[in-house]
Amino acid sequence: MNVRARQIIGWVVTAALAGIVVVGMIMGDTRPEDRVASIGAAIKCPVCQGEAIVDSPSETAVAMLEILEEKVAAGETDQQIYTYFRGRFGDGIILDPPFEPQTLLLWLLPLAAVAGGIWMILSRRRRPDLVSGEAA
Amino acid sequence: MTAILGSIAVVVAFVSAAALAVRGFIAMRNGAIDVGSALKWPVYGVVGGALAAMSILEIAILRDDFSIEYIANNSATTTPTIFKVATGWAALEGSIVLWGLVLAIFVYTVHRQVSRAEGSDQLGAGALAVLGVITFFFFGLMLPGMSFWIFGVSNPFRVCVELATVGCFEASNLPWVESVTAFEGRGPNPLLQNHILMAVHPPMLYFGYVGMSVPYAFAMSALMLGMSGTAWLQRTRAWTLIAWGFLTLGIVLGGWWSYEVLGWGGYWAWDPVENASFLPWLIATAFLHSAVVQQRRGMLQAWNYVLVISTFALTILGTFLTRSGVIVSVHSFTQSPIGPALLWFLMAVLVVSFVLFATKIHLVASSPRLDSLVSREGVFLLNNLLLTVFAIVVLVGTLYPMFLEAFGGSEVGVGRPFFDRMAIPLSFALLLATGIGPVTPYRSAKGSVIWERVRTPARIALAAAALAVVLSYRNTYLLLGILTATFLMLVILRNLYYAARKTADQRKIAVPAAALHVMRSDTGYWGGQISHFGVALLALGMALSSNLAVEAEITLTPGDTDTVAGYDITYLNQFSRQEPHRFVTGAAIEVSRDGRVVSRQEPRLNDYSTSTQTVATPAVYESVRGDLYLSLRSINSQAVVLGVWWFPFIWLVWVGGLLAGLAVLWSRLVRKPARDKVPVPRAVGDER
Repeated sequence: MNVRARQIIGWVVTAALAGIVVVGMIMGDTRPEDRVASIGAAIKCPVCQGEAIVDSPSETAVAMLEILEEKVAAGETDQQIYTYFRGRFGDGIILDPPFEPQTLLLWLLPLAAVAGGIWMILSRRRRPDLVSGEAA
Repeated sequence: MTAILGSIAVVVAFVSAAALAVRGFIAMRNGAIDVGSALKWPVYGVVGGALAAMSILEIAILRDDFSIEYIANNSATTTPTIFKVATGWAALEGSIVLWGLVLAIFVYTVHRQVSRAEGSDQLGAGALAVLGVITFFFFGLMLPGMSFWIFGVSNPFRVCVELATVGCFEASNLPWVESVTAFEGRGPNPLLQNHILMAVHPPMLYFGYVGMSVPYAFAMSALMLGMSGTAWLQRTRAWTLIAWGFLTLGIVLGGWWSYEVLGWGGYWAWDPVENASFLPWLIATAFLHSAVVQQRRGMLQAWNYVLVISTFALTILGTFLTRSGVIVSVHSFTQSPIGPALLWFLMAVLVVSFVLFATKIHLVASSPRLDSLVSREGVFLLNNLLLTVFAIVVLVGTLYPMFLEAFGGSEVGVGRPFFDRMAIPLSFALLLATGIGPVTPYRSAKGSVIWERVRTPARIALAAAALAVVLSYRNTYLLLGILTATFLMLVILRNLYYAARKTADQRKIAVPAAALHVMRSDTGYWGGQISHFGVALLALGMALSSNLAVEAEITLTPGDTDTVAGYDITYLNQFSRQEPHRFVTGAAIEVSRDGRVVSRQEPRLNDYSTSTQTVATPAVYESVRGDLYLSLRSINSQAVVLGVWWFPFIWLVWVGGLLAGLAVLWSRLVRKPARDKVPVPRAVGDER
């Protein structure tokens, strides 16, 4: 009985701790969202090799970051800001690829890999009837 | 003179590599040949030629021999000595010379191992032959006197025949033509002469990258011989582990360099060059784990070949990506002839390897089935699934924009938002699996057994995360990071503690001594656990430093103070000084906390005489609590604009990363304790 009681207490404590963590995650971050950082991570520095403007110290990137800061301060929406940079530098400037026919494979190939991998693992399992068959 | 000597060295290595390939294949076919002595002279030729080529290039750089195009365009008289040495591999042609040298060192080491083997080591002979073919290709790239197909497209000893204003304008492949000597060279890329890590990081990375040729060579040899069993696998895994350790260190040092030099406050940007180094790392990591499944349970034999071949192919792909100019634009890669040569080699590797694989795999692979998904094998399979999917995400994300551009589609950028969205969940899943896997029994495990082993670590990790919530840190990634990383660390420590206590009881010794004894008695397993512990530290460092970072831009006039993250930052004065190779302008900054001065820092802007680009050097005040990172944005007589970041506990990233890589030393170097009568219990997860 003593063991059982300790087990129950253990489970209650575990569940309570997990509850706190889950509630914390649902309540979300207390820090204000940094829009410049999140949008800036999705805008490519045009003179760099595949880096975002927040990741590059180059003058072009710094200048673009300043434009971005002004636009965020002016209260423009994400979409408005993306449209502005797209218009000036072309579609390739946005590093967060949209879901559209051209990028279908980009999103589907990883999913296909997950599905294929799971299928391969499951197909390698010893089938239950075979297990009993061998045991007999 | 330099050109002629260098060219001779390259030709010697090239011809020796051809001889190594031919004689190696003969020795592989004929079991009666003593492989060590049959291949001795070709191996010495490769090593001698490669060493001579690198030395001649380095000596010429140190002597400012600007009759050589590579040196005139990549070094200068004012370049500091350490960066002159690094220039030997910092640009394209030099990097191929270093590649050749590292390859030669591995050829020499494999040959030593083969020579010590008893009887005729046909597997080793075949591996040396394959290495001979790879060496043949790389020294072929460097050949003098020609430039067609793969030959001579990256000749480091081209002589300058027409000067530019600074450096060399046009050069000849013929080493004996009359050369002209520039008065001054162009100097290295400013970014590459800013930090000492630049002299360490590339060679580390090359040992990792090139080292992956060795497991590939053994796998090819085993396939050609139709050799089943685990002999090839044991040797292949040992070589992979060494290369993997170097690759890990190379990647971590690269991130550290980026953090210390580039001035944007980060260490990883998912740019194609970083991805190119990360891809073979992911697949090699998958192989290190799946090889254990084959050794212990005889499963996954065909899959292991796929992983080894893919790792090697990814190193060639990575070299193609970084060295062909394809990243800047798909259409620029034909400007340098090395791009097509590397692409050609990559295609040849893929076709030959997978044709050989398809025709021989029935000889070498059998496939026992999995008893239960809930078992060590099951977790290893999960690990392989996660790592492979991770690699596919990175590969597809890196190549997709290039493919679209090449086939005339519209421009699509793929960057950090895409990679983060995919990589972060995969990483958390990997961390959890890393915690559970090593304490899960083989064949078939009971859920209750696993739970008993992870229950206490899980509760403490939950308590740590709950504490963070109570302290009002509620970022989801931060909490998941704390949860998974502390869980992983605690499982490892608990595992060690229980094994140590058992040994302490049996041998009547103290628990710490017993822990050391346990770790020395199974160096393979515990080397892996040390590496896992490093990964956990790294993950914790990443979660804390990125999610609790504070960022600000401050403008200060002399004497002004501003406060960021509890640190008072005071701008004292502007300074400037002329150094031989650059003009430095900087701000003297005083950092204090609670009224006490803790540090003086000097973030700087550097103007190099050889370049129009201004390069900022950030200043970092490092402490146990975290880093205060100061980057100079602009400076004039009135004011200074500083980018300031506070990164708590970011040192965990470097310490964890280096520990993960250095853990290989535990597996390779630590000797097992002398045998005695009392059996040492294996790690808890190991018993069936």
